[in-house]
Amino acid sequence: MSDLRDLIGDDVDPEELNRLQRVHTLLEQAGPPPSLSPSLARPPASGGDVITFPRRYRPLAAAAAVAAAAVLFTVGYLVGNTGPSTEFTVAMSGSGGASGSLEIYAKDHAGNWPMRLHVDGLAEGKYALWLTRGGRLAEPCGSFAVAAGRANNVPLNAPYKLRSFDGWVVVPSGSKQPVLTT
Amino acid sequence: MDAAIAVRLDLPRAPGKASIPQVSADSRTDAELIGLVAAGDHRAFEELHRRYARPVLGIALRRIGDRGRAEDATQDTFASLWRSANRFDPTRGKATSWLFTVARNAIVDGLRRRPEPTVEAPPDVPEPGPGPDDAAESEWVSWRVHRALETLPDQERTLVELAYWSGFSQSEIADHVGIPLGTVKTRTRSALRRLADELGDELG
Repeated sequence: MSDLRDLIGDDVDPEELNRLQRVHTLLEQAGPPPSLSPSLARPPASGGDVITFPRRYRPLAAAAAVAAAAVLFTVGYLVGNTGPSTEFTVAMSGSGGASGSLEIYAKDHAGNWPMRLHVDGLAEGKYALWLTRGGRLAEPCGSFAVAAGRANNVPLNAPYKLRSFDGWVVVPSGSKQPVLTT
Repeated sequence: MDAAIAVRLDLPRAPGKASIPQVSADSRTDAELIGLVAAGDHRAFEELHRRYARPVLGIALRRIGDRGRAEDATQDTFASLWRSANRFDPTRGKATSWLFTVARNAIVDGLRRRPEPTVEAPPDVPEPGPGPDDAAESEWVSWRVHRALETLPDQERTLVELAYWSGFSQSEIADHVGIPLGTVKTRTRSALRRLADELGDELG
């Protein structure tokens, strides 16, 4: 334990010295604060990222998203259930001719849903696949990079209960604006 | 010996010799920020994260021990803060106390969801260390002190951390930082005064 006078010098009046001594004691009791790793440099993104639609289109967009998700989940299940381990396939679409399909394989014993995402027509860059709930980004399923002019086929994973979500979206890394939706 | 070496290798970066900057450009109170978070303000959320990430991680490490799980609990705490900010009532208590409760609840919930893996039955002996009341008191002191440290200008906070937890003498700190010994002591005293103001309730 260090002596307070060694730290701040001797020319302190007794009243102030007494006050600072109590701070000194609290500092020694508290111990050092932990250092933050890079993963804690920013608050969690899933805290409230909202996919924004123009206000007048929000009811229509929400209804369309729910309907499309329900239909595509059903169709995807029927169409995609031909492979040996594929549970279902979900189609995704975006502007500018971008498209994608998400093949979901059988859930493993730990609760992971392995997936393979095929995307085409996206601009070069980094993207992330998210599960959505109620028009919000809910849980991430992984990130991937797209090279210019190439179709991509990337393995991803969703360690969640899929029934509690209503769709998937692909967003550019660091953005909340979807470029592909179910 | 190894511990001493490890501490010295993890020294805070030496601050420059320029004049001490303002504590923070954001002078809003914690209570004001929580109110803004309740309204969906991401910048307010980031400012609260800047102020409280280390205090939250500190109590998570005390409770959990494992660094990775403590970091998960810290993220859980801020996710919980985002969801529950609209339940904060400034007439019923201080913001820092409410945030402390949010953090403790999130950490306990995280422990329930992700129980610590065990490889064998625990020994049938009393747990060493402080009892629950002492542990809670210790957590609260750390919470308040670590939060108060975040209010200091960077240069003063660095000096406090060097003085209390690096194992350096004040002369060694002066050499490390590159400022006269008298300035080290003056700035340390200034830092302790700021902390005394910030920790007024804890000083009794």
